[in-house]
Amino acid sequence: MAQDSASLSSDYQFWIWKLSVWGQASTLETQQDICRHIHQFQEFLRQIYEALKEMDSSTVIERFPTIGQLLVKTCWNPFILAYDESQKIIIWCLCCLIKKEPRNSGELKLNSWARGLLSHTLSAFRFDIKEVGLFTQSLGYTSADYYPRLLKNMVLSLVSELRENHVNGFNTQRRITPERVRSLSRVCVPLVTLPDFEPLIEALLTYHGTEPQEKLWPEFFDAVNEAFLLKKISLPKSAIVCLWLRHLPSLEKAMLHLFEKLIFSERNFLRRIECFMKDSLLPEAACHPAIFRIVDEMFRYALLGTDGAPEVLATIQVFTLCFVEALKKENNQLKFTLKTYFPYASPSLVTVLIQHPKDIPQGLWHQPLKRISEMLREVVEDQTPRSSRGPFESWFLFIHFGGWAEMVAEQLLMSEAEPPEALLWLLAFSYSPCDGSHRRAQTMEEVKVVLGHLMKLLRSPTLSARDLQAATGESQGGDPRPPACRRLIRHLLLNFILWAPGGHTVAWEVISLMAQTDEMTHEIISFLDQTLYRWDHLCMEAPASRKLARELLTELLVRVEHRPVGHVAAIQPGITGATG
Amino acid sequence: MESLLQHLDRISEVLAVSRTPHVSSWDAVAVRRALQWARYMRHVHRRFGGHVPIRTALERRLQNRWKQEDGSGPAAVPGLKSFRDLGRCDILLSQRLLDNRALGGAAFHCLLQQLFPGPSVPDAEEETPQGRLALLARRRSAVHLMRFNGFGENSAVWNDLLVKTQAELLLERLQEVGKAQAEGPSRLLSSLWERLPRNNFLEVIAAALLLPSSSSRPPKEELELSSSRTQGEGGHELVHWLLGKSDVMATFCRSLSAALLTSVAGRHPELFRVYLGLLTEWGRHLHYDLQKGIWVGAEDRDVPWEELYSRFQSLCQAPSPLKDEVLTALEASKAQDGDFEVPGLSIWTDLLLALGSGA
Repeated sequence: MAQDSASLSSDYQFWIWKLSVWGQASTLETQQDICRHIHQFQEFLRQIYEALKEMDSSTVIERFPTIGQLLVKTCWNPFILAYDESQKIIIWCLCCLIKKEPRNSGELKLNSWARGLLSHTLSAFRFDIKEVGLFTQSLGYTSADYYPRLLKNMVLSLVSELRENHVNGFNTQRRITPERVRSLSRVCVPLVTLPDFEPLIEALLTYHGTEPQEKLWPEFFDAVNEAFLLKKISLPKSAIVCLWLRHLPSLEKAMLHLFEKLIFSERNFLRRIECFMKDSLLPEAACHPAIFRIVDEMFRYALLGTDGAPEVLATIQVFTLCFVEALKKENNQLKFTLKTYFPYASPSLVTVLIQHPKDIPQGLWHQPLKRISEMLREVVEDQTPRSSRGPFESWFLFIHFGGWAEMVAEQLLMSEAEPPEALLWLLAFSYSPCDGSHRRAQTMEEVKVVLGHLMKLLRSPTLSARDLQAATGESQGGDPRPPACRRLIRHLLLNFILWAPGGHTVAWEVISLMAQTDEMTHEIISFLDQTLYRWDHLCMEAPASRKLARELLTELLVRVEHRPVGHVAAIQPGITGATG
Repeated sequence: MESLLQHLDRISEVLAVSRTPHVSSWDAVAVRRALQWARYMRHVHRRFGGHVPIRTALERRLQNRWKQEDGSGPAAVPGLKSFRDLGRCDILLSQRLLDNRALGGAAFHCLLQQLFPGPSVPDAEEETPQGRLALLARRRSAVHLMRFNGFGENSAVWNDLLVKTQAELLLERLQEVGKAQAEGPSRLLSSLWERLPRNNFLEVIAAALLLPSSSSRPPKEELELSSSRTQGEGGHELVHWLLGKSDVMATFCRSLSAALLTSVAGRHPELFRVYLGLLTEWGRHLHYDLQKGIWVGAEDRDVPWEELYSRFQSLCQAPSPLKDEVLTALEASKAQDGDFEVPGLSIWTDLLLALGSGA
């Protein structure tokens, strides 16, 4: 506490000095400096308020003899007052200084002084033109009627000035100078969150002068971006695209903001990720290839940095889904070629991937999958040094399109014929892209064996959880297969329960056997969520499977919520025998 | 209904008193009650915004009150003038009390507690008085900041904005007054004409006559159902008043710039005809000074040739039908004078010659 108050005192000296330097913020340098310090300064004022709240006037005078100076200087600085919250904090401070029953002449004087300053703060910069005041008063209006309208007209006038220049270019008489645009963007910094200013902010963002250099102030971009991210301002998409194209740090901050939201929200179902995603405007903005490339690059780093975390993977897939949707909505004929979005991928591969499976009859889905597999395999196994960007790049491209990637296992289980080599390869590749060809061949062989067992079980009259587990080779202790391969097999099994006619009878038992750890439970939850999300997007007609998946998911979530952290409970069969 | 009207009367009185020294007798209880009434009227505004009979009844009562107040003093007391004002009567009351130094210490302290509960009370955005008062103050700062940084070097644009804003307020008020009473707008305009500095008022009238129909809409947070018609009706009232007041119309046409009058004439054919009539009349007052070779007035108040010429010239530069009508009128006057083609005999011949060579 003592330390706190000591640091407040030293801060106090600093800000008193700053306020003297700032004066009335009439120069560029002072305005710039205020922009940089405003958050800290407001925080300091808040601390002062908290301190004043607890003090009587004699303590105030003793501890902050120059409090009057501090508040007056703040009140006379229009740049500070223009920021959101400034007035409120000052008013609260002043309210603390005004005592209900002043006991001596000193307190009386302080009361009277604070009242005057309060009045000034609330109606600062009163009509400075006599006629206007007289006129509005004669009409029975107050300044509360007049100022908002005047402000609106000022904004409209500036907007039309900017637009006119934009349209007419060189030859207008009212040609706006680059310096003026710059200074306008500077004055707007404290005001971006004032709703009246939205048209002007938009006009500035979409205004391009004739000079190659950026004329808008960097602090302006920062302020607009922050206001947009915190939902303190609503701007049309075109303006936001201009903002992100003109100011890269803003785009990066928008991405980080999205990541932060995803990290701090407790459990991310894909529907929720989709809401965050659409809300962020990033997929729509990414229709501009320059924005897409940067967003995608950040995803790549996130994926590499988290060693391919499933959450990041899911986020990329949702992003791509929303992006492709936006692209279609924006323009049926692509304004930019796909090559501009995916410069390193083969255009024919991208063309196949970007198709929505929904647009192809379900019975034909194996065809594009085979094409995808062949094309990917060609790139991955190409040994010539110049062509190879590594299997990671091919995989990174592939996993964008979750609709296809997750469909492979399902396709393999649906057909009773000999599993096609192409699909086996694609499945092995998508779970473990960096395997060597020997290891991949082994995985493919293992998948083939498991599929054979499962098909046999499908034809047997009774299904049991133990048999299923045995079929996947899970029950033997000390499974020698690498984790990615085991994960693949688990997902194969989960798909099997959802699709096999008798799957629902043993579903819960199988899940209980699998979900022995928290980690595994979460994996199954994610799998079910992803599957349901994908089916929704494909408009899949599979009522029994859908119902089962939803029931399993609900049940698992209930268990997770009620389970003490870290405790691995033996899960009781709950919905065994649920009718599908 | 009757109790609602009584409430309205009471809050009007409270508002009237709130700016006088009489508030020195108010205690904390009185302040709290006054704010309560004001909040109640705000509630009424929200509740009955779409209820035409109640709205109309309240509006009529307010107009009657205003008329009485208006007669009593040289300057009208800004108070509740329309239904819309009910929505912010708590803010109006708060501002007056905050500014009124006659309010006693304890009462003032109570006012602060009511208005500014501090950060602990989450304000649902701009809905609390605290949020709304702060927003107003912020807008003022914004105007100030923009004026010196956004319009610093261009005072003409700034002046236009001031005038335009006043024009919007004028039209809105004219429409409100007109709804309650047919002769209301004329009476209001005449009283303003007596009271206000003329030049500013004339500029405001011209700006009001030039406003496009949509720009006089009040800020969007206000519930205004019939605002889209504001300009049309208010503008009509203005034209009607000007046509009925020949002295005002003459001053209007004499004082404002040629370009501004041409714009007004282009928008309002009735006013154009009167303007053209005035120009013709002014022209008849001039005679030809043979020695100097120019047209001069007999008296000081006569319009000089240069001014007359610039007004005709401005009209002739406007698109048809303005230009055609002006030329036809000049030709007609010239024919009346004897259709001379030589300069120095008829002012109309000379004007036509000057306009022809100038064009």
